[in-house]
Amino acid sequence: MNLPAVKSLTWMGFVTAVLLTAISLYAVEDIPAFGDENSAVNKYIKLFSIDADAGLAESLNAGIVPEEIKTGIYDLGFIKGPTCEGCQNENYPTLEEGSYEVEYIEKGTWLGGRIYTKAGWDVLIEEGEIFYNEPQQYYFISDDSGELSVYRYNWPVRVTERTEEETFIINAVTSGLADYRGYDTMGEETVILTGAIGVILLMRRRGRL
Amino acid sequence: MTPERRENKRDVIIEVTTNLMFPLILLFGLYVMIGTGGTGGGFQGGTILAAGFILYITVFGHEKGREKMPESINALFKSLGLFLYNGAGWICILFSMATAQWLNMPAFWPVSDFVGVPVSRSFLVGYMISVGIGLTVMASFVSQYFDLAWKEEDEMGGGGE
Repeated sequence: MNLPAVKSLTWMGFVTAVLLTAISLYAVEDIPAFGDENSAVNKYIKLFSIDADAGLAESLNAGIVPEEIKTGIYDLGFIKGPTCEGCQNENYPTLEEGSYEVEYIEKGTWLGGRIYTKAGWDVLIEEGEIFYNEPQQYYFISDDSGELSVYRYNWPVRVTERTEEETFIINAVTSGLADYRGYDTMGEETVILTGAIGVILLMRRRGRL
Repeated sequence: MTPERRENKRDVIIEVTTNLMFPLILLFGLYVMIGTGGTGGGFQGGTILAAGFILYITVFGHEKGREKMPESINALFKSLGLFLYNGAGWICILFSMATAQWLNMPAFWPVSDFVGVPVSRSFLVGYMISVGIGLTVMASFVSQYFDLAWKEEDEMGGGGE
């Protein structure tokens, strides 16, 4: 059996196709599942832990964030207004009475694109936006083994705080485009190349390829 | 007063201005494409570079534009950009013995041991990925402009295909 003569360019194209297929399979293997709490988008930041005594859980169940947790959050600097003399104003949402809601979330709940692997309380804060006036998830207080751990999650806030530490890129937009969402950008670039190839195949009148 | 008969029937002012602006547009496009740490990015830089070439082709015509951006170079850039982008992922996967993820770019260990994680990571994201995006976007747009532009009658060169 004689194999037909194959051009070297065809072999190069074949090898390239195999490599691209392999990296696509690797990428699909590599992408975290939807709702994975350790994926870069959903990962929340632990702020501090306090002992769960003296009715903190009862207070949270009643819809009131206790003073201990509030002072802990305020001590970390998440307040509205200046943190020191002559500083510029911070614009974190406040935990004043009436501006937040507390909701208990069962373990294993699917909510907002994520699976809750711990049971706990979501603290939703209404910021008074004009166009999107919905209470937003800001803090998560989990109750594990007699200890209340306070987490803080929100995608844009997390980007502004942690992007340089995690990606070593000083530009938050670039880290989002090329790092956290690298597969998305790879697909966009492939779409552009495919569009150009489609125009070549459909519209080219004469000349060589 | 009959107009002077010129070979390409174009305006002198537009041609001189384009000749002056063309390298500056390309320089600004490169600045935007590589300056990922500041205000830049691959898509924007590639679009500015493509705009420079499209201006040149519009003013000087199809044939002279082909001299600035030949078809072979265009086809090379078009695929080289995607190769650079995917190559960043391939480098991380190969050098870390398939334990790295794409997003886990510090696993580019032979280099990151010498120069440190921040430098290697910013090289991969800022140069390989952004320049890759920019090259593909520029070459694709210029190629589409070449294919979609109507030639003038006397440029068809006999036609009859």
